[in-house]
Amino acid sequence: MTRRFVKSVLASLAVACAVSATGAANAQELQLTGPLKGAPAVRHLRLYRQGRFEIAPAVSFSLLDEYRRTILAGARLNYNITDWLAIGIWGGAGVASLSTDLTDKIDATAPRDPLTAINVNHSGNPSGQAKGAPAASFADQTAKISYVVSPQVTFIPFRGKLAIFNKIFVDTDLYIAGGVAFVGVQEREDCGGASEVKCSNPSSFALQSLTKVAPTFGVGLTFYPSTFVSFGVEYRALPFSWNRSGFDSRGSGPNGNFPDQQVNGDDETFKFNMLVNVFLGFSFPTAPKISE
Amino acid sequence: MKQARRWLLLAAALVLLPQAAYAQKKKPKGSGAGATPAAAPAADTGAQAAPADMDADAPAPAPGAPATPAGGDQAGPAAGGDTGAGGDMDICQITPDAPQCTATKEINLGVEAKKAVRAEVYAVQQQYVIKAQRFEIQPYFAVTLNDQFVSHDAPGLSLNYYITQVLAVGLNGNWYGSLNQDSDFNFQNRRAARIAVPLNDYQASGDLNFTYVPMYGKFAGFGDFIFHYDAYIDGGVGVIRTKPIPVIDPDNRSFDWNTLVNFDVGIGLRIFFNRWLAAVLEVRDIMYFDKIENTKIQPGLAAADPVKGVWYDPNTHFTNDVQLQVGLSLFLPTSFDYTLPK
Repeated sequence: MTRRFVKSVLASLAVACAVSATGAANAQELQLTGPLKGAPAVRHLRLYRQGRFEIAPAVSFSLLDEYRRTILAGARLNYNITDWLAIGIWGGAGVASLSTDLTDKIDATAPRDPLTAINVNHSGNPSGQAKGAPAASFADQTAKISYVVSPQVTFIPFRGKLAIFNKIFVDTDLYIAGGVAFVGVQEREDCGGASEVKCSNPSSFALQSLTKVAPTFGVGLTFYPSTFVSFGVEYRALPFSWNRSGFDSRGSGPNGNFPDQQVNGDDETFKFNMLVNVFLGFSFPTAPKISE
Repeated sequence: MKQARRWLLLAAALVLLPQAAYAQKKKPKGSGAGATPAAAPAADTGAQAAPADMDADAPAPAPGAPATPAGGDQAGPAAGGDTGAGGDMDICQITPDAPQCTATKEINLGVEAKKAVRAEVYAVQQQYVIKAQRFEIQPYFAVTLNDQFVSHDAPGLSLNYYITQVLAVGLNGNWYGSLNQDSDFNFQNRRAARIAVPLNDYQASGDLNFTYVPMYGKFAGFGDFIFHYDAYIDGGVGVIRTKPIPVIDPDNRSFDWNTLVNFDVGIGLRIFFNRWLAAVLEVRDIMYFDKIENTKIQPGLAAADPVKGVWYDPNTHFTNDVQLQVGLSLFLPTSFDYTLPK
């Protein structure tokens, strides 16, 4: 009898579970076959980009600099072919160049003697600071970015909105930009070669202008407080090789890892240069289209 | 025992009854049975006759018209035959606009989209994830952002409890262990300029933090799928253990770990995969006054007690350790109930 009683209880529970499960499945089916099936994820979307030109004045700040920070003032000009694809150009000119703490420290404490004569700026004579001569600044020999110009393609995969404090709501998109950058840099001129001035000569610490070609990519957020004006922030990578310190650090010995009394292309090292851009955008025509 | 079995079966049947009633509207008072057709026994026939209370919102049938179900577009028992025993009956009465109830009526999405909407629509309807009274476990890996001399990468773990939807309290810790890495850049500077920059290793850090989540939103990816995110700021106080790497006088100096008070602030972005799992990206600044190696050597005091400031620089130095943390966020319990309707 006990066995039959247990069987009865289990059978009742099994029926109850089966019916309960059926109820849940019905609700799911209703959702899948509802009137929104097949409808787009977003409707009546404001197409802030499609068919519009954008001009966005921007300020760029370099990140993680070893010897010198650069602030670029420039702009981005884009034509948005669709709401998810744009072509354009980004550029800026270096308007400020600030020495880092390390540069100041080297300037203040590095000895000016024959051992450092080819690496640390000095004046007067090749082996050290001349008596009474004005102090030569190490900062003057460090490289700086003069300008950046980059034709680029912008891809905008994500579009959404943001609620701030549950009070402010702003449309937002996230974009990825990529292109080729032409970077104007000033770095210590070549010295120590056959027909070049010796690197210990104070005149060898002058800077020369070069143009580097580098890939560039960025990722950013654009916020649309109105249909005409936008603002945003962007992370930008600009990797290329350059001699930021002006040191002779490579060129001879095993793997060329030892100084060779020359400053040239061998002394350039790869750096994953990074910038953060802040921009304010204006779009034309001033009113966006609205999706179906 | 036979009686007991019958009672059990009866109890099971009673348990099942309320499930059928959950989705039904409450019968309004005064809606007499004469306003709607009488309910026919449907369970065993598949007939589409509706219960009287489900018809309360339907227009009254014309005098003399045959009795029809609530959907109005399905005629008698035969119409129900295509979907099985009574299955469509409930669906069509609950959602008369469902496709299977309006087989001859195409839904024009363009027309539907132009219909007026209720004014009470929030920009972000009903937050995707309720965090209040849930625990968050956040394993992550941190990489140094601002120290080109020594990188201090570390695995870490955050444990948070959300007191409210926007406020959490928790602990986080980093283990730097042997992942500190003195860069080649230091050597290049020492060799070229004959100067040395004091360097420090980290062992571990731990903080008590408060987290505030002021922003949340959603993105449509490729105009196709939607995902949700939120942004938070956090800050707190804790300790960090550091020690100088002997650079200036490595032959004579060796240092022990120092436990220092730190303050930390961070800003993070959390992208939800579902209601309990998210990817996290955070930038955190751990700020403290560090003890660094003395750049001056006093030969006669080289072996003196380092506490007296011979090995250590007499001044402490304010230091920012800015990290980028990438990790996952797991919320427990994994499910929750909304307290308000959508």
